Amino acid sequence: MVSISMKKRISFIFLMVALFLSLLVVRLAWIQLIQGKELQAKAIDSRLRNIDIKAKRGIIYDRNGSPLAISVSTESVYAVPSQVRSSGRVEEIAEKLAEVLELDKDKLIEKMNKKIAFEWIKRRVPDEKIKQLKELNLPGINFVEENQRYYPKGELAAHILGFAGIDNQGLNGIELAYDKELRGVSGKIMIEYDAAGREIPNAMHQYIPPVDGHSIYLTIDETIQYIVEREIDQLMKERQAKKASIIVMDVKTGEILAMANRPTFDPNNYADYAQEVWRNFAISDAYEPGSTFKTVVTAAAIEEKVVKPTDRFYDPGYIKVGKETIKCWTRNPHGSQSFVEGVQNSCNPVFVTVGLRLGQDLFYKYLNGFGFGQKTGIDLPGEATGIIVNKSRAKEIDLASMSIGQANAVTPLQLVRALAAVANDGWLMKPQIVKEIRDLEGNLIKKIEPEPINQIISKETSTQVREILESVVSEGTGRNAQIEGYKVAGKTGTAQKILPGGGYSTTEYIASFAGFAPADDPRIAVLVVVDSPKGIYYGGTVAAPVFRNIVLDTLRYLQIPPQVSSEDKKEKIEKVIVPDVKQETVENAEKKLKSVGLKAKIEGEGDLVITQLPPVGTELVKGSTVILYTQDEESDQVVIPDLKGTTIKEAHTILTELGLKMAPQGSGLASLQDPAPGVRVMKGSTVRVQFTSPGKDDTILETISP
Amino acid sequence: MKKKQPDIILFLTTFLLLSIGIVMVLSSSSYHAMLHYDDPFYFLKRQLIWASLGIVAMFFTMHINYYKTKRFIVPGFIITLGLLILVLIPGVGIKVKGSTRWLGVGSLTFSPSEIVKLAVVFFFARAISLDPEYIKKPKGFLSYLLILGLVAFLLSKQPDLGTTVAVAGTVFCIFIAAGARVSHLTGLAFLGILGVVALIIAEPYRINRIIGFLNLWETASDEGYQTVQSLYALGSGWLFGIGLGNSRQKFLYLPERHTDFIFAIIGEELGFIGVSLVILLFFLFIWRGYRIALFAPDRFSSLLAVGLTSIIAVQSVINMGVVTGSLPVTGITLPFISYGGSSLLFSLIGVGFLLNISRYCQK
Repeated sequence: MVSISMKKRISFIFLMVALFLSLLVVRLAWIQLIQGKELQAKAIDSRLRNIDIKAKRGIIYDRNGSPLAISVSTESVYAVPSQVRSSGRVEEIAEKLAEVLELDKDKLIEKMNKKIAFEWIKRRVPDEKIKQLKELNLPGINFVEENQRYYPKGELAAHILGFAGIDNQGLNGIELAYDKELRGVSGKIMIEYDAAGREIPNAMHQYIPPVDGHSIYLTIDETIQYIVEREIDQLMKERQAKKASIIVMDVKTGEILAMANRPTFDPNNYADYAQEVWRNFAISDAYEPGSTFKTVVTAAAIEEKVVKPTDRFYDPGYIKVGKETIKCWTRNPHGSQSFVEGVQNSCNPVFVTVGLRLGQDLFYKYLNGFGFGQKTGIDLPGEATGIIVNKSRAKEIDLASMSIGQANAVTPLQLVRALAAVANDGWLMKPQIVKEIRDLEGNLIKKIEPEPINQIISKETSTQVREILESVVSEGTGRNAQIEGYKVAGKTGTAQKILPGGGYSTTEYIASFAGFAPADDPRIAVLVVVDSPKGIYYGGTVAAPVFRNIVLDTLRYLQIPPQVSSEDKKEKIEKVIVPDVKQETVENAEKKLKSVGLKAKIEGEGDLVITQLPPVGTELVKGSTVILYTQDEESDQVVIPDLKGTTIKEAHTILTELGLKMAPQGSGLASLQDPAPGVRVMKGSTVRVQFTSPGKDDTILETISP
Repeated sequence: MKKKQPDIILFLTTFLLLSIGIVMVLSSSSYHAMLHYDDPFYFLKRQLIWASLGIVAMFFTMHINYYKTKRFIVPGFIITLGLLILVLIPGVGIKVKGSTRWLGVGSLTFSPSEIVKLAVVFFFARAISLDPEYIKKPKGFLSYLLILGLVAFLLSKQPDLGTTVAVAGTVFCIFIAAGARVSHLTGLAFLGILGVVALIIAEPYRINRIIGFLNLWETASDEGYQTVQSLYALGSGWLFGIGLGNSRQKFLYLPERHTDFIFAIIGEELGFIGVSLVILLFFLFIWRGYRIALFAPDRFSSLLAVGLTSIIAVQSVINMGVVTGSLPVTGITLPFISYGGSSLLFSLIGVGFLLNISRYCQK
């Protein structure tokens, strides 16, 4: 018999064990029922291995939808080291990979022995090598499709586009600034693996599809960008300059139509260039603008009525400011002159006088108003603010220096924007580089509207300054910018470079030209900045002709009709508007044209009019000829039209509408083409067209490779 | 004395636990058995063989006259101590995963740790029942404690913390039942805590277990790995489990998945319902076990029943405590369920004796 006390003690033990068991039940309920879902999620997470599927990076287009940056898919090779090892053929696999991909065998063996589930072997492998590898069928060696960025136009607009890295991450330019929009969201394939990296039976598979990136439509016009790139290349060749930047801005909207820098790089191989070359000097480097800054001073002085165009000044060749003497740029004093003549002559004493009349407060009001010393807010990375002499420390001599464009440093973008504001009835615009964001199907996601910031000067002042600046080109230092048939306004600039240690260089200059056209209804503002040209360094000689070529081709491309400037052509000519005959039969089109007094010339052998030149709405003198380009409706073939005498824009329009592509060379009007007119080609073929500038003596044409 | 029918509830409970164990050993081990032995039934086959052996042994120990074992108890205990010393001799004991626990040649190996549990229970039941008053004296309590200390010392030398704790816990229960003074018992409990601290200081790997236990989530990749993976398994099961055979954590994530952590796989596949059922079965077993002790014909039988039941009670509570992250990892298997030949064999031998005693119960 067991004693009572022992029975009590045994019962006690039992109760204690029972208590522990109940506690365990409670604990299990807590773990399984309350924390269960959370723990399960973590457990699944720890078992799943993700294979990322990269989203397709959005395309960057110019304003007309021509692609400047696209994504092409290539295949990359990766290994699952544990699978390679378990095949027992590590040596052999490494050897084959080394042979096909030209890699180091020992390094490959090292990779195969890593205790990880995923290891890149080589990325972006050419198709034929992928094919070879796939035929070898090596265990543990897999392939994944990756998108690679490709810039079909090479160096064109390189500084604007920037570039994306190997993982499709935006690293510079628009690629960086709009990385979030372009990148999209990566998708995933998730597969359940065992703890050693093997796929398990009945594994959980999850597929999260990638969300493709959006496309960016720039404000850049590819054709104008071509023109600018061509001119800047020519400029660098002729002048052997250190650097150069050109910006073309739409005066009314603040949109950047073209922007180029030299030296430049090919974003397809960006790593082959020095990092310094990646910088977009036009927005990230500040320089002393010199005389081009006098445009802003002129506007401020006239707005504040401290000077009238007719005011007289006397230039003895220098001006004394306190103890200092500021010389005029020329050895021959300008003597007595009006303010307008002073601007034409870019006379320093005149501007120092006017600047001092404005006084410190007003001077700084306009510095700030025109946006100097501040970022313009353009959607590109790396913008500089420039350097403005601190107002509280500015003395009279500083004010005098600033009046002739010294002492302050500005970025080319700041200057061209300020000039555009002067031309645009005083309205300062936010510079824009992106016009629209669309998804890959082309649906509009976001439209970026022009953004006026402030009206700095009145419309009347703007008109007066435009006239003064026009006279600089027609009669003053900017004569090299003259264009027959168009009124052009602008200002030259020649500034000594600031030495790194302070003070001015006596051997290196920055030559520039800032202007806009047409002078009476400005459409584009253009700034050409040339850093340290060899030989002649005057802005009027180095930069003005470049400005002129760009403005001429751009105005023609934009179909801005030449103004009949001479007064002697005032006789009345009866004009008619060209009707729309597109998609009409040839017969009907001819009738339509005849009814308004125009002649027709047929190009091609089809029955249907595809496009016409000049386009709808153009004013023509009665009796002129309209060229009709025709094509068979059903055919895949096109007859090459005769493009002789067309502008780049016209040729582009005609070829595009016929389903052809154009490879333009040179500038001006079409002179030669390949294939020749009348040849039948497949749709989508490229026509090389050579444009020649009729006014140009020099017939060497720069080829722009697409 | 007239023999009755053995305790049918205890018998059925044992069989149910054993069956669950066999099914779960298959489920939890098949994947890595396939990988390492090219045979998904590798562990199942061995478990079945040992279970069969165990059942034969159980029927044997159920039917013999257990009073006749009395004269083998002291020599058996001394031989067991000898084996424990033998296993520690370099070159004799076989080292597995840092511990020398095994004796034998080739594939014929066994661990004396399993015999120790039975030997200790028999020894103390016999010794204490010879002079019931001796344990109440300080001298008596101390001498028993020294013997327990010797066994614990030898076990901890292997090192085998799990068996040490199980043996100490079991003997502690026997002491309680035998009428040891409360002051002695609390003193012993205090000493036990000190002993654990001493063991931890002696072997740094144990401190890692404690750290892993306290900072579970920070150490999820090393010290806390086992426990975290165990909690993942349990949590994934929720109420009804993800289905028999569907465990994901068995894909090499959960270590010791078919041995020490098999309870977690049960929780994952069969859910809260499944683990509650297992706990209920252990509750039934322990209830019947202690009930046999209550109604045993004499002091020796009663203390023997307390010890045999406590072996199962202590091991199951500690094992489930470890699996649920409530206790630090100790390396104790879940009786009847975990894979492990000799462990299963000796557990069933113990059940056989327990059933044997139940036939003499006076109620």
